[in-house]
Amino acid sequence: MISDLCKKMLSKSLWLFHTNCGACNGCDIEVIDVLTPYYDVERFGMKLVGSPRHADALVITGSVSRQVAPALKRLYEATPDPKVVIAVGTCAVGGNIWFDTYNILGGADKVVPVTVYIPGCPPRPEAIIYGAALALGMVPKKVKPQREQHVPRGFDLDAYIARWQDTPVVTR
Amino acid sequence: MSPETLQKKFLKGLTEQFPDILGKLREYVPGQLIAVLSRDELPKVTKYAVNQLGARFVITVATDQRDKTGDFGISYILAFDEEKQFLVLHSNLPADDPRIESVTPDVPAANWAEREAYDMVGIVPEGHPDPRRLVLPDDFPAGIHPLRKEYEYNTRFPSEPQNAPPRMPPPEGSTVVPLGPFYPTLEEPAYFRLFLDGERVVGSDYRGFYNHRAVEKLGDSELNYNQVPFVAQQICGICGQVHSCAYVEAVERACEIETPMRAKYIRTILLELERIHSHLLWVGLAGHIIAFDTVLMQLWRIREPVMWLMERVTGNRKHYSSNLVGGVRFDITLEAAEDIRRVLDKVEEEFKAVVDAVLIDTSLMARLKDVGILTEENARALGAVGPTARGSNVAIDCRVDHPYAAYDQLDVQKQVQDGCDCWARTLVRLYEVFESIRLVRKALDQMPGGPIMAKIDGSLPADRIGLCSVEAARGESHHYVRTGDNNRPYRWRLRAPTYPNLQAVGCMIQGVNLADVPICIGSYDPCFSCTERVETLDVNTNEIRVYTREELQELSRRKTLG
Repeated sequence: MISDLCKKMLSKSLWLFHTNCGACNGCDIEVIDVLTPYYDVERFGMKLVGSPRHADALVITGSVSRQVAPALKRLYEATPDPKVVIAVGTCAVGGNIWFDTYNILGGADKVVPVTVYIPGCPPRPEAIIYGAALALGMVPKKVKPQREQHVPRGFDLDAYIARWQDTPVVTR
Repeated sequence: MSPETLQKKFLKGLTEQFPDILGKLREYVPGQLIAVLSRDELPKVTKYAVNQLGARFVITVATDQRDKTGDFGISYILAFDEEKQFLVLHSNLPADDPRIESVTPDVPAANWAEREAYDMVGIVPEGHPDPRRLVLPDDFPAGIHPLRKEYEYNTRFPSEPQNAPPRMPPPEGSTVVPLGPFYPTLEEPAYFRLFLDGERVVGSDYRGFYNHRAVEKLGDSELNYNQVPFVAQQICGICGQVHSCAYVEAVERACEIETPMRAKYIRTILLELERIHSHLLWVGLAGHIIAFDTVLMQLWRIREPVMWLMERVTGNRKHYSSNLVGGVRFDITLEAAEDIRRVLDKVEEEFKAVVDAVLIDTSLMARLKDVGILTEENARALGAVGPTARGSNVAIDCRVDHPYAAYDQLDVQKQVQDGCDCWARTLVRLYEVFESIRLVRKALDQMPGGPIMAKIDGSLPADRIGLCSVEAARGESHHYVRTGDNNRPYRWRLRAPTYPNLQAVGCMIQGVNLADVPICIGSYDPCFSCTERVETLDVNTNEIRVYTREELQELSRRKTLG
């Protein structure tokens, strides 16, 4: 559903808001790398913006730490709909080796719903571009949609998002 | 203790003031002295060594050793850079009363280290001027110190939001500008609160460690010697090789493992290639911060072949996974060596053209000269390292001062500037790229043949201590390893270079314009890749104004354009 809407509305120019939730910077550098001359993602109309309110997509790198989680929630809410969330790197996809340590909640999908997962440590710039294009429906999917496989049987995604949005945001 | 060590100047100074310390000093590893002192002596010796003998404070290591000796341990690590010496001052504290007198009032560089010792192990620094929570998240329960052995690495602690550390009150009449928290330095996303008087910064407060991933706890409790390097390299995406190299060298020193020379050379080559791409990256980002995007695009274009090279040589663009205790996992073949030389020739030629343009660019100079002053005195007092220190005329470089890998055979030239400003720090990095290119070529020429892995039989001995400092692109990365049973480290402590440099930022941005803050923070080599949100609170009207990073950058860029 999100993907169809995005395909229609965002495919010509996707503005990305890049957020580091506890990454080692490897993925962050690769995200910047796709903007530079060799990969030049701006030819697809994608660019990084400075505020979540201007963004169509959140690019999340890093496993989510306890300290960052409330800020990430607020960030997700500040991004206007329709939006895509792209988890870049093994940490954001599943939490990497620290997925169960005392200060880490896990991958980005523990806090916000994620549309596209781009694994890799760090993912190659080509993979990041492919993932972003995939989120927009600009390239055909090579595998069946993955979400159903991750989500447990009988899991209602819309209800999950609605319930999550009702949770009070911790403000400090 | 070896006769050479006994001749050293600092030891004479130390024994003059504290005559009975000589009997307590032990030298297990050349270049590393360890003294076990009483709780009262330790702060006195530390203060004297730092303030009178010119030692550089490196880090404290707090250890929960209750399962072995029934008490807590704390070590203060000092470095005498000119004399190529580490001094570890250790003290055992009773389990029911782990207090120690704080040295921070006299040794400002110890500020964070002592706060971290309290957060993680619960050692109380008495008389610390700013004993707020540093490492643990705001909602972490009080009284729980996760590095104590009774907690598992994966314990889930309840949320107690009332424990958030208090914020520093701003000076009277100043405006508060929060900068962050999605503020990406290379190690830690950080949250600065700047206190402004008009446009000038009059003070700052810092809350960081958004990125605390329990790396040390994993190393202490779960991983064995050869698993740690693979976690260590993921501490930082840019200096991963630095961290894994520092760790394995620390273990090798502690256990007296003879690493083959070829393995050391391979480590050196990878370290220098990492420095090259890191410096190219930084110069590009610095240009971006002050609205000179041509620099960003050109430098990153030059940098990209280095990344491709690393992928061909090691199999990955970052996180090379090359180090194991005792050697490296893969060789650099003749073809790979040719490849490295070819890429370096290209990088050198293209980079030289950019540097020639940068060095005569008046608008860059106008933005960087006399901005973000960190005086030599302050740099020493706050323990700044790397290009931040070398830009302030503090000639420290671990490659020369505490040689590791094969650097003792390569004759490294320190790049030092005395400008103390952002321009000086830029120059240091520009010249270091050429120096690194020279070092890689020299290492490739000198690299001997032979095995790349030492033979290690059985398990490694327990209760040895090894230290290793490795010069990362942004400064000294220090690792401390105390070996334990079952082929696992008992305590692994690491200190990234950003740790001391971030503490120096408060001093660096004192008195600068708000528009210069991004380049000042940028000048110690963070990464502006992600976002930060800036919010100003006008104290007179209580009106909140939200600056985005873009607007702040716009402010910074407008200044360039006049």
